[in-house]
Amino acid sequence: MEILYNIITATVISGSLSIILVVAEYFFANYGDCKITVNDKKELVVKGGGNLLNALAENKIFIPSACGGRGSCGFCKVKALDGAGPVLPTEKPYLSAKELNNNVRLSCQIKVRQDIKIEIPEELFNIKKFKAKVIEVIDYTYDIKGITFQLLDPDTVDFKAGQYMQLETPKYEKSKQVISRAYSISSIPDNKNALQFIIRRVPDGLCTTWVHDYLKMGDIVNLVGPFGDFYIRDTDTDIIYVAGGSGKAPIKSMVEHAAKYQNPRKMTYFFGARAMKDLYLTEEFQEYEKTMPDFTYVPVLSSPDPEDDWKGKTGFIPPYFKDYIRDPLKTEAYLCGSPGMIAAVEKELTKLGVPNDKIYFDSF
Amino acid sequence: MKLGPEEKRIMDKMQPGILTVDGFLGNDNRNLHDIIQEDAEKVEALGYTAEDIGKRMQYLTERSKEAYEEPILIDQKYLVQQDIWRGKVVCPFPHKGLYVKADIHLKNIENGIEISWTPLNIHFIEEHGFFEGKGSKHRLDPETLIKAIY
Ligand SMILES: Cc1cc2nc3c(=O)[nH]c(=O)nc-3n(C[C@H](O)[C@H](O)[C@H](O)COP(=O)(O)OP(=O)(O)OC[C@H]3O[C@@H](n4cnc5c(N)ncnc54)[C@H](O)[C@@H]3O)c2cc1C
Ligand code: FES
Ligand SMILES: [Zn+2]
Repeated sequence: MEILYNIITATVISGSLSIILVVAEYFFANYGDCKITVNDKKELVVKGGGNLLNALAENKIFIPSACGGRGSCGFCKVKALDGAGPVLPTEKPYLSAKELNNNVRLSCQIKVRQDIKIEIPEELFNIKKFKAKVIEVIDYTYDIKGITFQLLDPDTVDFKAGQYMQLETPKYEKSKQVISRAYSISSIPDNKNALQFIIRRVPDGLCTTWVHDYLKMGDIVNLVGPFGDFYIRDTDTDIIYVAGGSGKAPIKSMVEHAAKYQNPRKMTYFFGARAMKDLYLTEEFQEYEKTMPDFTYVPVLSSPDPEDDWKGKTGFIPPYFKDYIRDPLKTEAYLCGSPGMIAAVEKELTKLGVPNDKIYFDSF
Repeated sequence: MKLGPEEKRIMDKMQPGILTVDGFLGNDNRNLHDIIQEDAEKVEALGYTAEDIGKRMQYLTERSKEAYEEPILIDQKYLVQQDIWRGKVVCPFPHKGLYVKADIHLKNIENGIEISWTPLNIHFIEEHGFFEGKGSKHRLDPETLIKAIY
């Protein structure tokens, strides 16, 4: 409710102020070239006037963003050491007192009007934007598709099995602008010039409606990444994988990669679905049971349809863990699915003694 | 009352095809504060507050998680089932806020009323008193909502 009153009281003052600013900007805004110094080692010369997030992207430095620069996600933080101007009211809700003290800012809200000095995490220098073309579409289930993109420019990528990319979908009938959503890579890192994603339809979802109803072979998109620290740690512990729905994507990459290199670790993969119609790639994973040193695939259906004639495991996944975990202290778990599924699985694994710091998932 | 720049910014983000396919205003041509105000009056006349309603929806949503994504009967009265997707959606109001993409379906088995909401709806109601514009697919009419969840 407070917001409503703020809106009303702010109306008159900011209304007149913004008119003055817009008029001033129109007549006087020519900022010429501005220099952006990044981490004291990279100097970029950009045309002033645009926002910092875009200026960096134009120079192939990609700051994470989940809202495309609209000031709604708070992901695009950078440390602005000099030249960024005062913190705007649009930024304040996203910045803690500590961040404000440390000059952390939202790069999409900073206008480049003069030379700017910023600091960003080093790993962001590895993130690239790829132009890519749809070369394969597979209907895995009624609401899950596998889409493969061939990389055109740059034409190869290095990533770790389990990482994700941001898919930028073009404007279409239902989306007024380019939108960007995260998708885990489901193909293996050895395929450097094509990436597969497994995308589940979200009813009335902005991006998934495009993927399921509009995308066609040959379409061109942008992919930005790779991102994320969800990848297999290089140890010799047993591994439990748990996935549901489209959560199969990063696990598929991990298991296929392990199969290719005959990884000797004991691996058990629990896949949760409602009924047979939600299962996919079953034969492929059952085949790995034969070809990998120590791999077991455990599909679990929560409510199989009568016509499924399902003889496998039913109910929820967590009660089955105890039958497969040899030594909880020597077990790592890799989880991918909805937040509810992750919370339930994490709780059960912790109860069984799997150390919290050995349970990995994409937190978002 | 006139539309201020802050309110305009929020309403721009609420248009179809910006944050979500259909946006949040439906075919309601009124200003945001009028939409919120009318529903606030309705809720008050029914003897509730938006915060109470939001908390009640949150309670039912949390309880339904016990059944993961299967249906569950809560308090002998509400049949609730959730579909949870990956990813989070942002709130168009100016603050930090990301809400799980999910659809929660409830049937009140005493009066037969069926409604659906998303985690963003709960936040809208609890924090902004916003039930969405008329004609919006995800609008929750306060009266029907109250009949369904109490
Ligand atoms: C690290 C990461 C990896 C991911 N990997 C995958 C993957 O491999 N495969 C995959 O399929 N997905 C994946 N996702 C999810 C993906 O990023 C998208 O979030 C998902 O596909 C849905 O996007 P969308 O644009 O279709 O839905 P959106 O349009 O962004 O959101 C739809 C949701 O918004 C809410 N909503 C819409 N309109 C309203 C309204 N009017 N009122 C209230 N609420 C409303 C509802 O909850 C609805 O479910 C991943 C996410 C993350 C963070
Ligand atoms: S990119 Fe989302 S707030 Fe800046
Ligand atoms: Zn909000």
